[in-house]
Amino acid sequence: MNDYAISVKNVSKKFTLHHEKRDSIFESATSLFQKKRHSETLQALDNVSFNVKHGEIFGIIGRNGGGKTTLLRIISKIYSPDSGSVDVKGTIIPVLALGLGFHPELTAVTNIFQSSILLGFKKEEISKRVEDIIKFAELEKFADTKIKNFSAGMQMRLAFATSVLVDPDVLILDEVFAVGDLNFQKKCFDTIMSFKKRGKAIIFVSHDMTPIKNFCDTVMFLKDGKVGNIGSPEESVSTYVDYLSTQK
Amino acid sequence: MTTIREEMWKFKGILFNFAISDLKIRYKNSILGIFWSLIEPLLMLGVLFFVFSTMFKFEIENFPIYLLLGIICYNFFKNGTTFALNSLTNRSSLMTQIYFPRSIPGISSGVTAAIMLILELVVLGIFMIVLEFTPPITILILPLILALEFLLILGISLPLSVLNVKFKDTEFIWMVVVHAGFFLTPIFYQFDMLPDNIQSILQFSPVVQIVTMAHHVVLYGVLPSINSILYAVGSTSVIMIIGYLIFRKYQSRIVEEI
Repeated sequence: MNDYAISVKNVSKKFTLHHEKRDSIFESATSLFQKKRHSETLQALDNVSFNVKHGEIFGIIGRNGGGKTTLLRIISKIYSPDSGSVDVKGTIIPVLALGLGFHPELTAVTNIFQSSILLGFKKEEISKRVEDIIKFAELEKFADTKIKNFSAGMQMRLAFATSVLVDPDVLILDEVFAVGDLNFQKKCFDTIMSFKKRGKAIIFVSHDMTPIKNFCDTVMFLKDGKVGNIGSPEESVSTYVDYLSTQK
Repeated sequence: MTTIREEMWKFKGILFNFAISDLKIRYKNSILGIFWSLIEPLLMLGVLFFVFSTMFKFEIENFPIYLLLGIICYNFFKNGTTFALNSLTNRSSLMTQIYFPRSIPGISSGVTAAIMLILELVVLGIFMIVLEFTPPITILILPLILALEFLLILGISLPLSVLNVKFKDTEFIWMVVVHAGFFLTPIFYQFDMLPDNIQSILQFSPVVQIVTMAHHVVLYGVLPSINSILYAVGSTSVIMIIGYLIFRKYQSRIVEEI
């Protein structure tokens, strides 16, 4: 037995890149008479293992295309890994990029309902929290506005407010601070700290090294799908920076 | 199959939420919008009635009701399957952010179509009152026939939803099938008006059998023949099994393709 909130063991994931992707029945049929086309595989994740304890903020850094998003999607069960296993205790809220799967044609309130139902909440529970969510996101005036008319910052605020107020056990934050204003950023940091105090695990992905160094307890550097380093923030960030300088 | 049923039960909140939000998006959140959904079948009714009662002089008893019932049954099939085509792609941003069973969007399209079916049946009821038509007691079997049609829709919707992600032209091919199917189904004619050899092919179509059975129980007070039931249930089962196998083959990696 272990008391890890998230434990990832030997996870690998491969993608096939088709140089000319056949994506119609017609093409698939005609291609029977043609020469084989090229495709190559991309090892997005290669034997990645790590553990996140309760109450730990775990940072992930790495280059674009380094496998960060793929890893987060595997943790939140959206992709299935080719091999290896992922074990997560409790509910998990993925905040991958902007908007929590918001539908542009629906209003803010309807979207809160839709996302929260997907995250496993009952209608009555959500009704109680909707007002708080809107208030936290500072969107009182826009509760009945369609998401398509929201700015990127407004969407992010709504997504963040929805995810923290449904109170998950594991929070995944992918570049959430890129768009909020200073005031909201502070609010986010305060919330994250209170999550940490209550023993919840937080995975934090960012390209901005300042919050990584300030907030994370442990940082993993993903080097082209492999674990480059797992350790203290300073150590991982300096490995990452060294690696970047050798790339030129 | 059992896993799909379990998933449906566990995620029924999401299922209905999807179905309702699809309706809302379709009708732009307006109450009047719902009535737009009724305009289409009524317009169809008007055109077909005009063409076949004045120009071709078809002599079918209670022709307006016969027509409307056929159109409604076919619309249910058409709506359910065509909504499913883009059900996964329309939710691509959601699919890549939160995990939920891949079968939910396809099934919820069927539920959306079922809600629209109920509205159209209300219109059918109004027509019956206006035309002073008293349906026979066998009309009570109609819900069973429509339930079978719902299963048929699921059997087609699930594979269509994943195939349309994998092969982008599934949509166009399916639209042709749906259009052709409208003319190959006894909606504005009676099945026995067709030549024998064509009858013997078309009897395998579950939609043909479902529409014929609906006509029988609503208009003529005749119970569906054993033959019809066997063909309808048999072909629906075959379609459901094949559909489920196709769905299962593609579903796990479908998010990566979106």
